[in-house]
Amino acid sequence: MTMEGPTQSFVDELIICENVHKWFGEFEALRGVNLRVKPGEVIVIIGPSGSGKSTFIRCINRLEEHQEGRIIVDGIELSHDLRNIQEIRREVGMVFQQFNLFPHLTVLDNITLAPINVRKWTRDHAEEIAMTWLTRVGIPEQANKYPGQLSGGQQQRVAIARTLTMQPKILLFDEPTSALDPEMISEVLDVMRDLARAGYTILAVTHEMGFAREVADRVIFFDAGQVVESSKPEEFFTNPKEERTQLFLNQILHH
Amino acid sequence: MAQLASPPPETQSSPVWRTALGFLFDVRVLGVLGQIGFIILVIFGARAIGGNFAENASKLGESQFICRDGTFSYRCAYDFMSSEAGFDISDTALDYTNTDPYWYAFYLGILNTLKVAVLGVILTSIVGTTAGIARLSENWLISKIALWYVELMRNTPLLIQLFFIYFGVILAAPNLNEAIQPLGLPIFLSQRGLNFPSPQFTSSAAIWLAFLVLGIIQFQVTWIILGRREERTGQANNKVQTGLILFLIIAGFGWVVAGAVSETQGVLVSKASRIRDLDSLEKIMLQRTGLNNLGDVDTLSEEEIAAAAFQVCVLTDSPSETNLAKQLRRMGIPFKMHRSGRPDQATADYAEGTCEAFAASKSVLAAERSTLENLSSHLIIPIKENPIVWSIPTLEGLNMVGGSSFRPEFAALLLTLILFYGGTLAEIVRAGIQSVSKGQSEAARALGLTEGQRLQLVVMPQALRVIIPPGIGVFLSLAKDTSVGIAIGFPDMYSVSFTTMNQSGRTLQLFVLMMLVYALISLVFSVLLNWYNERIKLVER
Repeated sequence: MTMEGPTQSFVDELIICENVHKWFGEFEALRGVNLRVKPGEVIVIIGPSGSGKSTFIRCINRLEEHQEGRIIVDGIELSHDLRNIQEIRREVGMVFQQFNLFPHLTVLDNITLAPINVRKWTRDHAEEIAMTWLTRVGIPEQANKYPGQLSGGQQQRVAIARTLTMQPKILLFDEPTSALDPEMISEVLDVMRDLARAGYTILAVTHEMGFAREVADRVIFFDAGQVVESSKPEEFFTNPKEERTQLFLNQILHH
Repeated sequence: MAQLASPPPETQSSPVWRTALGFLFDVRVLGVLGQIGFIILVIFGARAIGGNFAENASKLGESQFICRDGTFSYRCAYDFMSSEAGFDISDTALDYTNTDPYWYAFYLGILNTLKVAVLGVILTSIVGTTAGIARLSENWLISKIALWYVELMRNTPLLIQLFFIYFGVILAAPNLNEAIQPLGLPIFLSQRGLNFPSPQFTSSAAIWLAFLVLGIIQFQVTWIILGRREERTGQANNKVQTGLILFLIIAGFGWVVAGAVSETQGVLVSKASRIRDLDSLEKIMLQRTGLNNLGDVDTLSEEEIAAAAFQVCVLTDSPSETNLAKQLRRMGIPFKMHRSGRPDQATADYAEGTCEAFAASKSVLAAERSTLENLSSHLIIPIKENPIVWSIPTLEGLNMVGGSSFRPEFAALLLTLILFYGGTLAEIVRAGIQSVSKGQSEAARALGLTEGQRLQLVVMPQALRVIIPPGIGVFLSLAKDTSVGIAIGFPDMYSVSFTTMNQSGRTLQLFVLMMLVYALISLVFSVLLNWYNERIKLVER
């Protein structure tokens, strides 16, 4: 499977997060997160549940609103300006844990809905691009079925094709394999691995350590709403600096 | 795993009857027994009702079933429907006098019921959907207003709301001569109901309609041609916009052509009046008013205007009246219309000299002119007309003339049903929207869809499958509850039947008839809605 590369970007840092804070009522979910992501970088975010890693990547496309600090995506600052939010959402694709395919539309219509309505492509053009992506994720024959007729792994691959047809510069994965049966995890990871190698800028929240070790440029450990450690995968897994990271790695690697 | 497969423990030996009648515990046998029991119940029920009906019918006596030849037969139960109704109906869709038969009165009642039901269903779905979406708005004020609306409508009885709106709102509106005119539009809200302009199709409407058909054909052709080019070049070209603009151009052109070609309208005047066309009329009016410019007509006193007014005989609510009134108003010519119901009456008025002119279609005028004594001294002036003219309500004495109107009873009943069932539907819409998981909205937002697109393309199509089944129930209730109109004297089917019952004593027949019609209306409604429901169902694995 060879992948076409992502759209070129002309900024040095695609994502800049400075001192990002987020509260849910009294609870402080993010306590000053700093992160800079270069084009083409693959970053895997791990951490215990409730540590704020999902909340963080959901802030990047404004599914959650941050209350303090700055987030700049591809040179555009996330503010309350609706046009900025729309612009960023066009350039940032997201894959969800629960797939979130639209059950009332066929696979093909799921994929072409946003290109036609947001990018204003013609139906023919959108369907052509959609079919190339469906072919690349290995399920072109499912194009006219409904999501309810597919397996979990197939649905997640459709969700990935739906995101990529919009030609985003950045891909966010929010635990993309957590809702899958074990035998379907690898088919989704294969697709993600190829995207990483094709040069996409990826932020992935996942518990797949093998994936992190293999394709990540950086692994980030999140705990209690903060970035605790950020290093290359080899160093991260073999020689973690922070005590909390060691504790977490022990728990997940030796259970 | 093998250890788990030990034999089950011995069960205690059952009593003999349990073994012998063991088949009774078979779910298949139980199913069949249940069916048989139910059929027996239905038969007994039907017999009880049927017996009761027959007994009551015979108690009512033979007088209920008199045939036209004077004999008695159950087959003649509805023969009385052909006799004269003898009562008036305040609001009818078609012409009616109290000498018309019962069945015609009943038919007009059905039309009134349908008018309220159909308009009610359409408007309720708009109000209910809007209020349901507003309930979920992030805007505090909007959602609270929607909440109060819903709670108010759900927690008070329909009949009380109907009385409140009829007596407290509609009848409390000002008199006709002080009617409320929103934004200065020709819409009049008063205790006589709502008067509003209505379109009238003139004879040239057919020509314009032909142009509209041409425009639609053009749209299809443009769609196909541009669609093919799109496939060839792979580039979007505005198929819809191009087609629509061309359509509007053709429609506009057709409007002008139809107006120019048609001269089927006319005015009958005497040669002595020196009126030869509308321009010569203008000169005559200038002389008569003593003005240099008819635009200054407002400077004259009311008496002077009335004295100078151009007197025209017209047929009530005819397109000719609307058309001529429009033209005279545009030229600033003061005029007075003398309305009459029949052409010969108008001609008589004209011949007597009540009016200087008689405006009608040319064919009517030609026929009427030939009845005049010295016809050569009268001539018919052609008048141009647009394909559609708007009849505008105007106050004349104590009444409104022209336009269409909703009578207060109709307006109150419709408004009450829309508001009441709008509140019920709002909660169903809200439940439907909330049944769509948050993930759907998040995916739509993450893909860059706007909030409107998210609602229209992702949330509503899924919410509809939850909304439609209970929504059908709401619409059916609305259709049947049009019968509360009797409380404020709206002549719907129930009200007309009620009067008929009182007069003829045929209670049984009319109730049977009413139930059949209501059932028929409900069935048609639910067949249509169920068909729609079937279409939008989700495909599951």
